[in-house]
Amino acid sequence: MIIRLLKLVLLFLIAVFLGNSAKGWGMTQHQALSITIFSASILGTLFFWDFRLSFAFIGTSVLLLTKTIDLEHVIEFSSLEVILFLVGMMVIIGLLKQEGFFAWIVQLILRIRNLTAKKFVLVISLVSAALSAMTSEVVSIIFIVAAVLEICDYFEVKPLPFVIIAVLATNIGSAATVLGNPIGILIASKSGLTFEDFILKAFPLAFVCLIAAIFLVLFWYRKAIIQLDKNIKELGANEMLIKLISVPPERNLRIGLAIFTVTLFFIALHHRFELLYGLPANTVLLVVPLISSGCVMIWKWDKARDYIERDVEWWTLLFFLLLFVQAGTLKYTGSTVFIAERIIGLVGQNFNLLTTVILFISAIGSSLLDNVVLVAAFIPVIQGFGTLGIDPRQLWWAILFGGCFGGNITLVGSTANIIALGIIEKEKDIKVTFLTWFWIGLSVGALTTGIVWLALVFTPFYR
Amino acid sequence: MKVKEIMTKKITSLNFEDNAVTALELLLKLKISGLPVINDTGKLVGMFTEKEILAKILPKYLENVGGFVYDENPKAVKQKILSFGDLKVKDVMRKEVITIDEDSALCEVAHTMLVQKARRIPIIDKAKNIVGIVSRGDIVKALFNEYK
Repeated sequence: MIIRLLKLVLLFLIAVFLGNSAKGWGMTQHQALSITIFSASILGTLFFWDFRLSFAFIGTSVLLLTKTIDLEHVIEFSSLEVILFLVGMMVIIGLLKQEGFFAWIVQLILRIRNLTAKKFVLVISLVSAALSAMTSEVVSIIFIVAAVLEICDYFEVKPLPFVIIAVLATNIGSAATVLGNPIGILIASKSGLTFEDFILKAFPLAFVCLIAAIFLVLFWYRKAIIQLDKNIKELGANEMLIKLISVPPERNLRIGLAIFTVTLFFIALHHRFELLYGLPANTVLLVVPLISSGCVMIWKWDKARDYIERDVEWWTLLFFLLLFVQAGTLKYTGSTVFIAERIIGLVGQNFNLLTTVILFISAIGSSLLDNVVLVAAFIPVIQGFGTLGIDPRQLWWAILFGGCFGGNITLVGSTANIIALGIIEKEKDIKVTFLTWFWIGLSVGALTTGIVWLALVFTPFYR
Repeated sequence: MKVKEIMTKKITSLNFEDNAVTALELLLKLKISGLPVINDTGKLVGMFTEKEILAKILPKYLENVGGFVYDENPKAVKQKILSFGDLKVKDVMRKEVITIDEDSALCEVAHTMLVQKARRIPIIDKAKNIVGIVSRGDIVKALFNEYK
């Protein structure tokens, strides 16, 4: 109780300090107030994770009551298109889960023939990354960890190294497409970047980073890999694993996969359709998951309510919605243009330095905070740079990769980390310490962020 | 009619430090699906049931994995069963226990059983001491007998 009180006092003091500092730097009353409330919300998320929605509700209410923002702009900044996109995708994922798509993926992993430790590491890394890119990191990690635990149990090896490898690959893969991480769709909707842009620019870089990370973990966990190879030789082929699970009925799985594939197809080509039909940017991007999930709910009409009530993460989405409003208030009051001007004042016309700063701040910040919180805060600042005549394209990539790859650095850096470690603690009573994770997380985070930095700064491809 | 009129007063309970296998064997011997768990001061601290035993030996993430069928028994389940004897009742039991006051009406007990999906509910007195236990079967029988 005392610790909670101390945290609350600290939160209040820091938020007020930041607000007063903002006024000291020359911001107006409303700008300073928006900084104070936003800081309080972010700190509330950091100190009181379970109460983050309460902070978001109350913070937004205070902004309205103090006329720092009006209702019309609350609706505008809430990024309903992002929220509805996520709702649609969550319904589709719910269907895939129910029809056994993810269990089918687990089955594929369990059925690897002529298994070796290196093959296992390669498969779980590639599948984790791919699944994360196509669905989301939060969904994919559960199934991958399930497969890893089954295989490690069978071959009587410690699962922790392989779970960590899967998580690292999941976070890397989540940067590859618009779908992999909520920050992907958020950045796409605010920047004008399309799914094709992500495939052309984010996907190859994420893939290169994944390969680099695989080499690193093969070296880092060489002892665990040698042990797994030894046990595979001793215990023989994984015949029992091959027969462990099955996924009936196949017809429904095929229909579910077809719906998902068609959805992905239209999402991938959303920009082309928007140009063809003269639709505003991201209209098709939003509409496709809604149509697909609407069709899913017609097909599975008796489960439609379950999809909406259980598979849609309303707690998280409401938090995002109000977080976007609070970040939007920074833009509305002009705070972010003010901050953008100050940053430009510090870095001068050195655009590569600005990219470096954004990349590494978002990576480090994302290792401590939820990356959606961080990106939501940064977006208006980057938009501010755009207002000041700076082409922000390189910065959008910086914040995407920093936001995703930074999640690997600490064990709280990403929701996928927390979910995976929660499962392994409950199943195996393994408590991972901060440092156990930190050294490998920092190594992979530094390596992958370094590769991104080289690509952003030294190639013209991302401008 | 109040629940205290139909509840089973002679309760067998487990101590939270009891061995889990011994507790399981008692369930099987008595042919019941669950027993209340008390601590050293006699306070109700949990429920040890067949459901909790299955939840302990099967992977926790099963609900989230979605549609699939086990065609074989995983090795991990065998290992958990073999090491079940290393556990105590407190490691397996459900700590959140629904209880009902001894003066509650039968319908209230039925209502609680439906909403909380409980097959049996320990009955407590005003001092929160466990004084009996009632099962779903007891409630169904008593309700139908009352209005026959």
